[in-house]
Amino acid sequence: MRAVLRAMLKGQFRPLLLGLALSVLVLAMGAALLGLSGWFITATAAAGMAGAGLIFDVFRPSAGIRFLAIGRTAARYGERLLTHNAVLRALSALRIRLLTAQTRAPFESLTRLRAGEALNRLGADIEALDGLLLRLLIPVLAAIAVLAGAFGMLAWLTDPAIAGWVAGSFALGALVVTALAARPAIRASRALEDTVQDYRRHLVEMLRTRRERALLGKLAESRETLGRLEHQRRRRAARLDRVERGTGAALALFGTVAPAGALWLGGSAVLDGRLGPAVAAIGVFVALALAEATAPLRRALGDYGRIAQAARRVAPILRPAPQPPTGQHATTGALSIEAVTLRRAPGRAPVLDAVSLRLSPGERLAIAGASGSGKSTLLALAAGVLAPDAGTIRLGETPLDALAPEALRRAVTLVPQRAALIQGSVAENLRLAAPDAGDAELKEALEAMQLAGVIRARGGLHSPLGPRGAGLSGGEARRLVLARALLRRPAFLLLDEPTEGLDTPTAQAVLENLARALPQAGILIAAHRDTELAFADRVLRVMPNGHLAATQSPERSEIP
Amino acid sequence: MSRAPSSLDPLLGPARARIAAGSALSVLASLIWLAQAWVIAAALAGWLEGTGAPAREAVIFLALAALRAGLTYGAEGQLFRASERAVTRLRDRIVARESLAGDSGGFGGPGAVAALTVDKLDALRAYLMRYHPAMTRTAIVPPVILALALSQSWAIGLVLLVAGPLIPVFMALVGWAAKEASARQMVEIGTLGDLLVDRVAALPDIQLLDAGAQVTGRFAKVSNDLRQRTMAVLRVAFLSSTVLELFAALGVAMVAVWVGFSLLGVIGWGTWGAPLTPFAGIYLLLLAPDFFQPMRDLAAAWHDRAAAQAVAEEVEAWQAAPLPPLLGHGATAARLHGAPVIAWSGLSARGIDYPDIRIAPGSRLAVTGRSGAGKSTLLGLLAGLQAPEAGTIRVCEQVLDDRNADGWRARLGWMPQTPQFPEEPLRALLGEGEPDPALLRAAALDTVLDRLPDGLDTVPGESGAGLSGGEARRVMLARLLRARPDVVLADEPTADLDPATAARVTEALLALAARGTTLIVATHDARLIARMDGEIAL
Repeated sequence: MRAVLRAMLKGQFRPLLLGLALSVLVLAMGAALLGLSGWFITATAAAGMAGAGLIFDVFRPSAGIRFLAIGRTAARYGERLLTHNAVLRALSALRIRLLTAQTRAPFESLTRLRAGEALNRLGADIEALDGLLLRLLIPVLAAIAVLAGAFGMLAWLTDPAIAGWVAGSFALGALVVTALAARPAIRASRALEDTVQDYRRHLVEMLRTRRERALLGKLAESRETLGRLEHQRRRRAARLDRVERGTGAALALFGTVAPAGALWLGGSAVLDGRLGPAVAAIGVFVALALAEATAPLRRALGDYGRIAQAARRVAPILRPAPQPPTGQHATTGALSIEAVTLRRAPGRAPVLDAVSLRLSPGERLAIAGASGSGKSTLLALAAGVLAPDAGTIRLGETPLDALAPEALRRAVTLVPQRAALIQGSVAENLRLAAPDAGDAELKEALEAMQLAGVIRARGGLHSPLGPRGAGLSGGEARRLVLARALLRRPAFLLLDEPTEGLDTPTAQAVLENLARALPQAGILIAAHRDTELAFADRVLRVMPNGHLAATQSPERSEIP
Repeated sequence: MSRAPSSLDPLLGPARARIAAGSALSVLASLIWLAQAWVIAAALAGWLEGTGAPAREAVIFLALAALRAGLTYGAEGQLFRASERAVTRLRDRIVARESLAGDSGGFGGPGAVAALTVDKLDALRAYLMRYHPAMTRTAIVPPVILALALSQSWAIGLVLLVAGPLIPVFMALVGWAAKEASARQMVEIGTLGDLLVDRVAALPDIQLLDAGAQVTGRFAKVSNDLRQRTMAVLRVAFLSSTVLELFAALGVAMVAVWVGFSLLGVIGWGTWGAPLTPFAGIYLLLLAPDFFQPMRDLAAAWHDRAAAQAVAEEVEAWQAAPLPPLLGHGATAARLHGAPVIAWSGLSARGIDYPDIRIAPGSRLAVTGRSGAGKSTLLGLLAGLQAPEAGTIRVCEQVLDDRNADGWRARLGWMPQTPQFPEEPLRALLGEGEPDPALLRAAALDTVLDRLPDGLDTVPGESGAGLSGGEARRVMLARLLRARPDVVLADEPTADLDPATAARVTEALLALAARGTTLIVATHDARLIARMDGEIAL
């Protein structure tokens, strides 16, 4: 909670502090306004009854009333604008910080992120955190300050008993309500938020996989699950609502114990002649006004569970990441893998065992091997997104783990098997790779990947693609991904089954054009098609024992 | 977005009665203040005379407060239940339609639909809980207070009469601005959701392309836009409530000044003859803020209404957006009877005309053609995931439609081009119980499982992370073999596979065909095409 709070306060500390000061001012002016009005009316009545109407100074109190009324309104406006603006800025910054942290997370964990989960973290959790300042911290601090101030003022103006009763009953009320309701409220609110997030996760999951589910006859089941979760959510929301309403009623009651006591104590003092009626009235009116100070406790208690839960989930992502290396070494020379070993789990037979290979600039190397034999793993190692258990991978003379991430990414581009496109225009997709590329350059890349015609038919570079590049066929999407990689103009291009889903002539043309566009690049292909094997100068094979063996010549088969 | 505001009444639905009950209770709770104020005014007037029974007055005041708290508790309970019911009704409606679609519709992707269903519908709650009670209170409480004021003093009545109606006029002015602002905010929330879902799926590529800063920048822009839109909504709300508070404060101050001067005896006009008593003066001053309060509540609820209208319009937009339904309900069903003959005539979808054909049970058919020629679409049509734009498909000698689609799909085995995995271990994916080793072998999955540290308990990522492309495909094959389908629809079943594994998969499919299963395979793989009996070239 503290880490999240610190992150939110950073950069917004001054406006929030000012906002807190203003919200104290709003409450204080509200109490002063009612107190002064009550005193004024009672005092005028007393003066009128005494026949002293003409010598009573009406102007200063009524000017005070006007000042307090307008001042409070203005202060409230300023406070709301200031705090909401600051909190929204803090949340937006937090959200961006979380996403930034996420983009730098280990590659492997990125491939396992789930959409529903991301919506919950970067959407719902962040939104829940707005309550931390707006509904929890600021109102509670302001209430404490105002109750203390009111106690002092009332003790000075009226008498300590009235002051003690009024401030005491509010303070006691807040404490009793918190003691009784905090636990059930926190539990209910946490449970409710869990269900809401479950619901969101299931819903996204169903929407994402509905074709699969339809074929398995499982869509109805998803529907039922969502129905059940909604039912559970309603039960839990009702539980939280009961706690909140109970809290509200209890706070309202304690809020009337204060004026009732002021009425009793003040009345007794007036009847005993210890206080004048007008002064005694101040106690009653201030007590009426102070209910405004503790009322926010209801929302604060109701939201606390959800806020704390969100803070707990967000905090780990805020932890500072280890400083990445800053090596900017020249990227000349070869990409060499030296005696690298990797196991999928400790104690298991290695997938890759003491594997070495050297990819020189301009060379085309293919890795063959049975599906699942470790070709993709080898590419991931060469791209530096996976760390070996033993051995070193170097770019020129520099080990990959000593290179700054951006230097590494500039030199080496990996196109994974499941490369994804994004929603947005074709140009936006391409410019992920090369933000500064002009339209002509993009068109050239499309041309090389035999996509120019397809994209022209769709409406050109600025034609939109759906979520995950929807709207393109599998083969078209594959070629767009390759065009994207081409635009990186890397020194080393690592391709994982690049021509999947392409017919043979297209596959051949695409590979040849890639090599022609990047004549200096070393190309490493995890290959399983003959077209890909035939494209290579040299073919290595991952053996079942995890060793790498040279094959004499690319396999030929009956496919032309 | 500048259409006439849509009526929100349909949203209430069967919750209407509860909302009326809750509103009535909240009026009663407000009216109790009239009695509480009476107690305070009487006590203070007593103090001026040097009389009174402080303890008794305090007890009565407290008892009234307890009654008021009880009524409020009841009112809020009714309103809460009503709002929950209305929200659930809409939520279930969205889920029902979305879960019967074959694909994302025109409204947006999973992120936008989830934002509407879960988050935006929640924005209706404030409206449902606050607008009608505030409306009812406004209709009853201010007139009652006005009548009380008029009975004592025409001057106070006049002040209230003039200041009061300014509030609704002002509300009407801000209403439009508030709605526009809310609508823009709603759109932005959906955009942010969809952007997140989309970019999260592409994060591995984004890292590989070193495009993190670019993507974060775009996200920052949308997040910033959302902040500004939200702030715009709040600014209108804050400003209008400030203006209303000012009206109310000035009204109350005028009442106070008039009461003060009257009590001092400085002015002698404004009453119906007899001078204002201290009791009446204090009582009227205590009531004056509550004359304005219901109208201020209504003004606040007016913003909730604006937000609710924006949500209602989104719901309408969702309703109006094309969302092609699949055939049937996507439920488990008994297998459709009859020999699984497939035939179509005049079939056309997405601008592609398919040549008429009749496929006998046990046929082995390759669907070939360039990328984008409509191979996957054809498989989707045959599975009833979308309805043809023209022509009919006949299966088991009947037209494929809503009534038989679930039963037909129960006979199908499906291998998608890009497998999507639910958040389940492989074990669950492969059906109930322990999978048969022979079956795992047939799907060439046994060696895969040996390699996975968690074996059958592996939970793959959304699109199969943790498995290679070929491995993911073999999981799909194992699932298919286990289901013993009568017809197999396979989209590029040998993609991402090395020749040896591709051959094993091909053999497994052919072994199914040998048992009489119909094979319809969209593929580029010449070896696989060669093993089929026929070819539909698109």
